[in-house]
Amino acid sequence: MELLNIFIKSIFIENMIFAFFLGMCSYLAVSKKVKTSVGLGVAVIFVLGITVPINFLLNKYLLQPGALKWLHPSLADVDLSFLTFIMFIAVIASMVQLVEMFVERFAPALYASLGIFLPLIAVNCAILGGSLFMQQKGFTHLSEAFVYGLGSGIGWLLAIVFLAAIREKIAYSNVPAPLRGLGIAFIITGLMAIGFLAFMGIKI
Amino acid sequence: MASKKQREILLDPLFENNPITVQVLGICSALAVTVKLMPAVVMALSVMVVLGFSNVIISLIRNYIPMRIRIIVQLVVIASLVILVDLFLKAFAYDVSKQLSVFVGLIITNCIVMGRLEAFAMDNKPWASFLDGIGNGAGYGLILIIVAFFRELFGSGTLFNIKVIPDWFYQHGYMDNGMMLMPAMALITVGIIIWVQRSLMPGLTEKE
Amino acid sequence: MKFDRNSNIYTFIFTIILVSVVGILLASAYTFFKPFHENNIRQEKMTDLLYTIGLDKQKLAEVAKAKGLNLSYKLIEQYFEKYFVKQIALNEKGEEVEGIKAFDVDLKTEIKKPASEQVYPLFIAEKDGKTYYVIPLYGKGLWDDIWGYLALEPDLRTIAGVKFGHKGETPGLGAEITSKWFEDRFIGEKLFDEQGNFVGLDLVKNLEDKANKDDHKVDAISGSTLTCNGVEEMINERVKHYEVYFKKLKNQKNK
Repeated sequence: MELLNIFIKSIFIENMIFAFFLGMCSYLAVSKKVKTSVGLGVAVIFVLGITVPINFLLNKYLLQPGALKWLHPSLADVDLSFLTFIMFIAVIASMVQLVEMFVERFAPALYASLGIFLPLIAVNCAILGGSLFMQQKGFTHLSEAFVYGLGSGIGWLLAIVFLAAIREKIAYSNVPAPLRGLGIAFIITGLMAIGFLAFMGIKI
Repeated sequence: MASKKQREILLDPLFENNPITVQVLGICSALAVTVKLMPAVVMALSVMVVLGFSNVIISLIRNYIPMRIRIIVQLVVIASLVILVDLFLKAFAYDVSKQLSVFVGLIITNCIVMGRLEAFAMDNKPWASFLDGIGNGAGYGLILIIVAFFRELFGSGTLFNIKVIPDWFYQHGYMDNGMMLMPAMALITVGIIIWVQRSLMPGLTEKE
Repeated sequence: MKFDRNSNIYTFIFTIILVSVVGILLASAYTFFKPFHENNIRQEKMTDLLYTIGLDKQKLAEVAKAKGLNLSYKLIEQYFEKYFVKQIALNEKGEEVEGIKAFDVDLKTEIKKPASEQVYPLFIAEKDGKTYYVIPLYGKGLWDDIWGYLALEPDLRTIAGVKFGHKGETPGLGAEITSKWFEDRFIGEKLFDEQGNFVGLDLVKNLEDKANKDDHKVDAISGSTLTCNGVEEMINERVKHYEVYFKKLKNQKNK
């Protein structure tokens, strides 16, 4: 039940884009076509689903105050939490690289469609944001972190695909010239965020 | 002191080449902190510091960085600077640092920083890189502060937590607009800023 | 001198130098800043606790100013130690647990344990000859965690003051729970009946009779029902655990 709650919450209520504006750069840059945005969205789900649990373990057994106790009792006072940012980003950058190599080697078809997006993802705020929020929420189980990562990714995918679909249509509308492109994308995203407010407060 | 070219490097990103409204960089980490002016100002300063100094550092060592691990080296430099800023805020501006929460950390993946390192610091001298960093940080901060100004003014009726809308208004039925405090309104405010800017500078209009 | 910037050896040496420079820099910065950060956390907790027994920061600053002092961390600590005479921790049966100071209990982790394994921290303060009992609170709001402190009068049933905190409630709506006007609504409300049985509080929207302090009802903030439900749940869940201990205290007093 708790897991389902985290899942639903991370997709709809605490949506990476509509509630926290994370990953906006690639969101705005890639959302011109539905097809490419699906590709990027799937890559984000993939990477979030992998890095959030890994960073969870890293946080639990290395970074938290007193996390090194399992190595030796005398290390219980060591607090490495100040290294959080650097460790998380290192994990993300290397995981993205690793995933890229694996996909290229074992699933060339997938690589052809995902390939160009993967390197972009290392510096996507949504990925680091996912890990940082995971740390802040203080999950106790690996499964919670995994579900949270997955849910956040799906929420991101939904947001980018919706926007891309609207932008494809809006190409035929008569938008005032100064608003064309970026300006209208911002305003549409804002309106979509208002729509997503309807999910606020849902509890399962 | 500064030559004409250097002044251009510093001032260009404020309006004509603004990182948010023109280059479409670095929107990610920051709009969430525009509910109130105070955190927005602190965020803007933090980004300026990180951007300025990471540009200088990368520019200084640009001839020694192994090309293959370039991105990782850049990330390490940025992340270390962000950690320093975060530690500093926690020690001396605790209240603001609580409001910024994870968003300080997200400066690391702020596309402006990486973007400027790649595009400018990797092949320019330290002093020019520093100006470029400060200029881009300021251009970014400017938008943040404008958005935060409107959101705090209309959303809470305050600026820097000081009441500015007189009681007289409230007695005659004026109400703070709670909607301004919602994330959605930050996006729409940026949209409107872009609209205004592009109406004034028609050269920036996108062709489709 | 020209390096081969793409050779493995060069990359390797470069990495080692970079990692050690960054490591040393960050570790020393951390040791330098850490005490300030820890003091900030402690100071916040102490000012919150002092607030619940009617000593808000402004008042303290005025008192300090009259003596020609600044309200520094040291001074807040002095005030805290002056008023908060005792800190204890209880178990579920209302017995004192030895060796644990209420200040050091981290409710966030404590609250995740089963009720029988938790310790329940309690602060005892004395001001103007009256004894106050301050209970730390922790719970869930709409978006994220909420917490607070609740001070009881010497009669062990009336609220003397509360202080709430939150991590990410909606600004302008749920976030208003930390405002003075909301916290003041709790003052004088009763949590226990005359026999010392726990009754709890009910946060009701558009409450008719706001002045009635004996109906166990508090006026909620309109537009933030879910955050207020969280506050209600948090108070009722946390304070309930102290019922046994307070009853014991009452019996001792009556004897």
